[in-house]
Amino acid sequence: MARRSLIEQLDDAVETILAHPDAPLPLVNPRITPLIRVAAGLRSLPHAGFKAHLKSELERRTMMSSAVKSAATIQHAVTPYLVVRNAARAIDFYKRAFGASESMRLTDPGGRIGHAEIVIGNSPILLSDEYPEFDAISPETLGGSPVKVHLYVDDVDALAKRAIDAGATVVRPVEDQFYGDRSGQFADPFGYIWILSTRKEVVSSAEMQRRFDALMTQPESKKSAASPIPEGYHTLTPYLVVQDAPALIEFVKQTFSAEQTLRTTGSAGGVHAEVRIAGSRLMIGGGSPEHSWRGESRPAALHVFVKDTDAVYQRALEAGAVSLQAPVDRGFGERVGGVKDPLGNHWYIATGLGKSHVPEGLRTVTPFLHPLRAEPVINFLRRAFGAQEIVKHASPDGVVHHAKIKIGDSVLEMSEAREPYQPMSSTFFLNVPDVDAAYRHALAAGAISIAEPADQPYGDRTGGVKDPFGNQWYIATHIKNVTP
Amino acid sequence: MVAKQPHLKASSEDAEEQLLVEAAQKDPSRFGELYVNNFERVYAFIARRVGNRDEAQDLTSDVFHRALENLPRFEWRGVPFSAWLFRIATNAITDRFKRAAQEPSTLDDSSGENSARDFEEFDHHARLFRLVEKLPEDQRRVVEMRFAEGKSIREIAGELGRTEGAVKQLQFRGLQTLRENQGQSPKLRRSLK
Repeated sequence: MARRSLIEQLDDAVETILAHPDAPLPLVNPRITPLIRVAAGLRSLPHAGFKAHLKSELERRTMMSSAVKSAATIQHAVTPYLVVRNAARAIDFYKRAFGASESMRLTDPGGRIGHAEIVIGNSPILLSDEYPEFDAISPETLGGSPVKVHLYVDDVDALAKRAIDAGATVVRPVEDQFYGDRSGQFADPFGYIWILSTRKEVVSSAEMQRRFDALMTQPESKKSAASPIPEGYHTLTPYLVVQDAPALIEFVKQTFSAEQTLRTTGSAGGVHAEVRIAGSRLMIGGGSPEHSWRGESRPAALHVFVKDTDAVYQRALEAGAVSLQAPVDRGFGERVGGVKDPLGNHWYIATGLGKSHVPEGLRTVTPFLHPLRAEPVINFLRRAFGAQEIVKHASPDGVVHHAKIKIGDSVLEMSEAREPYQPMSSTFFLNVPDVDAAYRHALAAGAISIAEPADQPYGDRTGGVKDPFGNQWYIATHIKNVTP
Repeated sequence: MVAKQPHLKASSEDAEEQLLVEAAQKDPSRFGELYVNNFERVYAFIARRVGNRDEAQDLTSDVFHRALENLPRFEWRGVPFSAWLFRIATNAITDRFKRAAQEPSTLDDSSGENSARDFEEFDHHARLFRLVEKLPEDQRRVVEMRFAEGKSIREIAGELGRTEGAVKQLQFRGLQTLRENQGQSPKLRRSLK
């Protein structure tokens, strides 16, 4: 009993000490006096989590410091090795964007960087120029990188600004995330995506799952006030940009009996026109003898279905086109001839040999690409715009002779380049339900920004990107109807 | 002046600390080691001057952030690094009270200077805090909840699913263990690491 009473006595004294921290220590049984002294010393015991919390706060802060430490002396278990197309420029960018410090570089006699080491915060990153002969290929060549680099910093907003100033583009803007971080994603000019984060809150995985579930079951966010694709348009519209737009309009009128539905002055000071060939729309833009527009031609290749290939092919030649291929019956069920118009566009004039002259699933006009390799382009379209591969015919050597890719309600065809069908840098107008999402996905897939999405006076919200293969995509969502 | 205070440091420890400081000056990511070695001292120093726990935490955080910022300007003059931290702490406390529009006289008049006895005292507290971390799990929980979180025996019993008697017993044992461990090396005030 005596021991129990000592325990009680001690607790009484502890109670007094805690309640009256400034009072002298209570007089107690001498056997517990030393314990009371210990208890008095514990009155200012720091909160258990505080030391660790402050430590991680300080660590996050020191991460952003630019102090140089040789990457070789930091031995983390895992270290990213980035292959880039221009390592010298990349190192410079990482210095400006993320405060990296360079600790070493090896330059080969040809001037390429064979190996370099930089340090960001407390982490080393290794990098080199492209060496295809050693299977070191950059995201720019591959059309994007599936690996993202995650960087924890003390002030994600400040770093994001710094990265953007240095030339990064926003893939996902900085936002508070359900998992406790505030983070955003940014594409560097070399094809890598960086996730920049600041930990705001420590969330248990159970709580994280709960929030994630709640997020997933949320009703679909507000629908736009208008149908995202304006009446009469489709997801994909080819946009032929040429030095003499009126001449091209004349050509399509003569050859395909196209109807001009719009002609105005575009934002770049040139012609902007729309024509219709049967049910398909084409956009035509560029210069004219009367305009001072100075831009680059961006011709395209188009597959056009007509009732009589031979007659239309003949009209095309009369209108100034040159023949690429006289009409012949092809094994895949169409008779087709090819011409190149005076402005550089390819027209594959075809008649379906089935029930209708337009094969099922296609429209009068279907854009055609001739990439060096089809696979990276298909992958890009899949990631950027949710494209689906409908068919793909490849020969045993892997050459893709024909592929049909569906984007929204439209089809895009492609066949890998061979004489005289070489890659062109074409332009497309893409109507999507969510321009911001498509824009973000395109950048994440390796495109670079031409224009961030912005509301336009004509009722669309539009943005623009250039894909890794040189094609430009104007992306639009129709947000409201504007009466002219 | 702090520099004039006698201080009982073995020169090898001085040298070791100096190396840490120099390393952190070259590479701020090494600051963590200085932080770990000095956290308890600084917290004890501040807690003695401000009664409120939240305020003590804010100020401690403030001190280490300021220290990190000013580290490149720290010059080694044979004074322990903690003395420099205490000076920053003193300034931080003064700023805090000024900001609260209170009379500076609410501060200890010794605020600008710290006697060797103060160093001993903060080291003593710091060591005690370290010993708490090494307590057996159930004793540690009770000691932390009781002293750091200011919970009553009843609250602790409720949270731990134990009887109040059992919690009081753990409190007793915890204080006893701390006392014993203190006793084992009463003079080892430098063995904080």
